[in-house]
Amino acid sequence: MLHIDEELNRLREKLLEMWDLVDYQLTSGRDAVMNADHELADQIIKLERKVNNYDIKIDRMCENFFALYTPVAVDLRTVLAMLKINTNLERIGDTAEGMAHFVKKLDRPFDPELVELTNMMVMYDQALAMFRECRVALVKDDTKLAKDVIKLDKALNKIYRKSDVIITKYLQANPDRIPEALALLSIIKKLERVGDQVTNMAEEIIFYREAKVVKHKRKKKKKED
Amino acid sequence: MTKKHNKLEATNLDAFYGDFHALKNINVAMEEKAVTAFIGPSGCGKSTFLRTLNRMNDYIDGFRIQGQILLDDRDIYASNVRVDELRKEVGMVFQKPNPFPKTIFENVVYGLRIQGIKDKKVLQEACETSLRQTALWEEVKDKLDKSALALSGGQQQRLCIARALAISPSVILMDEPTSALDPISTAKIEDLIHELKQHYTIIIVTHNMQQAGRVSDHTAFFYMGELVEYAKTKTMFTSPKNERTQNYITGRFG
Amino acid sequence: MTNSEKNRLKDKAFQVFGIFCTFIGLVVLAIFLIDIVIEGIGRIDWDFLTSLPSRRAARAGILTAWAGTLWILVLSALIAFPLGIAAGIYLEEYAKKTKLSDFLEINIANLAGVPSIIYGLLGLELFVRFMHLGPVLLVGALTLSLLILPIVIVTTREAIKAVPRTIRDGSFALGASKWQTVWNQVLPASFGGILTGVILALSRAVGEAAPLIVIGALAYVPFVPKTPMDEFTVLPIQIFNWTSRPQAAFLTNAAAAIIVLLLITFLLNGIAVYLRHRQQKKIKW
Repeated sequence: MLHIDEELNRLREKLLEMWDLVDYQLTSGRDAVMNADHELADQIIKLERKVNNYDIKIDRMCENFFALYTPVAVDLRTVLAMLKINTNLERIGDTAEGMAHFVKKLDRPFDPELVELTNMMVMYDQALAMFRECRVALVKDDTKLAKDVIKLDKALNKIYRKSDVIITKYLQANPDRIPEALALLSIIKKLERVGDQVTNMAEEIIFYREAKVVKHKRKKKKKED
Repeated sequence: MTKKHNKLEATNLDAFYGDFHALKNINVAMEEKAVTAFIGPSGCGKSTFLRTLNRMNDYIDGFRIQGQILLDDRDIYASNVRVDELRKEVGMVFQKPNPFPKTIFENVVYGLRIQGIKDKKVLQEACETSLRQTALWEEVKDKLDKSALALSGGQQQRLCIARALAISPSVILMDEPTSALDPISTAKIEDLIHELKQHYTIIIVTHNMQQAGRVSDHTAFFYMGELVEYAKTKTMFTSPKNERTQNYITGRFG
Repeated sequence: MTNSEKNRLKDKAFQVFGIFCTFIGLVVLAIFLIDIVIEGIGRIDWDFLTSLPSRRAARAGILTAWAGTLWILVLSALIAFPLGIAAGIYLEEYAKKTKLSDFLEINIANLAGVPSIIYGLLGLELFVRFMHLGPVLLVGALTLSLLILPIVIVTTREAIKAVPRTIRDGSFALGASKWQTVWNQVLPASFGGILTGVILALSRAVGEAAPLIVIGALAYVPFVPKTPMDEFTVLPIQIFNWTSRPQAAFLTNAAAAIIVLLLITFLLNGIAVYLRHRQQKKIKW
C-alpha cells in the first residue's frame, strides 16, 4: 500500500474512534433523557474531555498531513473532509453534553404526555439513525447513503418546527411545568442541531468522493421554487 | 516508546575544501532505523556532509575535516578504520542512476565480488534477496544476464539501491536519489524508502521539500555550511523554530 | 540591397568557397591514389609479395619489407601498449594535482609534437650506441614505441576521462579500492577508446621511414627476420629506396609497395573506426 494511503487510513481510523465515542454519548443521552438519569448524564459530560482530545489530535494529524504530504485531488478533498467532519463530530459531542446538563436539572422524568405530543423520542431516534447511517456512509464511501442521510433531516426539521406551537399549547394547559417544558424544547432544538451537523458531515462525504459541492444547494432550490 | 539508538553522530564537525570552510561546527545525531532528510539550498553543505559519512570525500584533493563522526559510537575517521570496511557498513545511492555497464546480475553482486566472494550460489542468493527487497525481482528475473543500461531510469535507480543492499550495510546514504526520475518512479523509490527504514538507517539529501516531508522522520536544514535547524519532520514542517528554516521551506528564501 | 540580403549572399559565397576547399583535398588525394594504382596494381602478384629483394626490378619482391613492418608493428604495440596505458592510468587516476604532475603533462604534450627524426637520433644514441644493440628489430620497435608513446598516453587519458565520475563513485561506494575500480570499471569501459588510440598511433608508426633509417635499418635485407634481434627493413624504407633508383621498373615496384602500405594503414584505421563505433553503440551513459 502506498505510504500516503497508510496515513490516510490512520486518520480515518482515528476519526471513526472519535465517532464511536460520540455515538456512545448520544445513545446514553437518549436513556438519560428518558429516565432523567443523573449518573449517566455525568458520564456523558465526563466523556466530553476525551472527545475534545480526539478533536485536537485529529486536527494535528490533518495539519501534519498537509505539511508532509502536500495532498492533491482526492487526497486533498479527503483530508479537508476529515478536518470538517472532525469539527462537526466535536460539536455533536458538545450538543450531547449540553443535553446531559439539561438532564441534570430534571428531578424527575419528562411528562410522558408532553414527550408523546412533541414527538421528541421519535426525533431522538431519527437523529441517532442519521448519525449511524452517516458513519456507514463514511466507512463504505457510499455517497448514495450519504444523500439519503441528508433527506432524513427533513423529518427532524418538521418535528422541530411544530414543537413551538405544541409546547405553547401544553404550557397554557400546564403553567406549573414551565421549566420542564423549556428544557424539553431546548433538547429538541439541540436534536435539530445534531441533524444539521450530520447533514454537514454527509455533505463532506459526497464532496470528497465526487468532488461535488452539495451544501447550500438546497436553499438555492427553495428560492427557485 | 523507548528512545531509539543513535546510529550516526557528528560532533563539532568542520569540513574544508582547501581554504573553503564547507561545514561549520555540525552537531547532529541520526536515529537508527529511521529516515533523516537533509535539506537546504544548493551549496549549503548537505551533500558534503552526506559524503563525509562514508568518507567519499577522501578522494577529493584538499578536503579535510575536524571533529568526529561516530558510527555506532566508533569514530569513522580514526586511523584504524579501513575505508572499504566502513563502506560495507554505510552504502550509498547517487543522484543519477549509475549502473555499471555490465549485466543486471553483475551489478548487484559487484560489491560481493570486490570482497572476493566467488561462490555462485551465495552470489545468486544475494542477488535475488536484494532485488526482491527493491521490488525489482519480478521485473528483471528473466533478464539478469542483460545489460543494466537497458533498464528504465527508475528501474536503474532501484537496481543501484539493490546493489547497495547486497553487501548488507546498516546505513544507506541517498544523494538526491529521485532528482533524475519521473513522478511515478519517484513515488516507487519513496515507497521503497518507507519499506527499507524497518531494517536500515536511511539518510537522504533532497532538493524536494515535499519529498523530505513524505519520507523522513527527522529533517536537518543546512544553510551556508551551518546546521540551522534539526527537528522531527512534522515539527519542522508545521512550526519551524528558526526564521530561515521557515523562509526556506515556504519558498520565501533570499 | 538590404542588410539581410547581403548577409545571405555572404553566407552563400562562403558555402561555395568551403565546398571548393573541401574538394581540393579530396581531389588531390584521389589523383594521387589513382596515379599510384594505375602505376602499381599490375605489379602486385603472389611473387611480388613472397620474393626477396633483388637488384633486378622484375625479380624483386617485398617479403622482407612487409615481414619487417609486421614485426615492428607487433613489437611496438607490445611495448607501447602497457607503458602508455599504465602512464595514462597513473596520470588520470592516481597523480595528485601537483607541480610535478603539471610538468609531466606539459612535457608529454610536447613529446607528441617532436619530429620523428629526432626520435631516430635518440634511438641511435641510446639503443644502438649506448646499449650496443645494433640496428635490429627490437631497436626499431623501441624507437617507434617512444614515438607513439605520447599519443598512446594522451588517448588513454582521454578514454579514461570519458568514463563518468558516477561510475567510479558507484564502485568506491561499494567498498572497492582504487585499483579494483580501475580494473573492474574504468578499464573495461574505456578499453575500446584506448585500443582505437593505440591502433591510430600504430598506423602512424607503420608509415615512418626516417627514424628507422637513422638507427641504421637496411634497405637490402636478403632474409626474413626470425627474432627481434635480427636486422630488418620495412616497407617505407623499401619504397624510399626504390624511388631513389633511376630505372622506371623500380618506380613501378615502389608504386606497388605503396599500395600494400596504404592497404595496411587503411586496414588499421578501419579497425579503429569500427572499434570506436562499437564502443559508442554499446555504452550510453
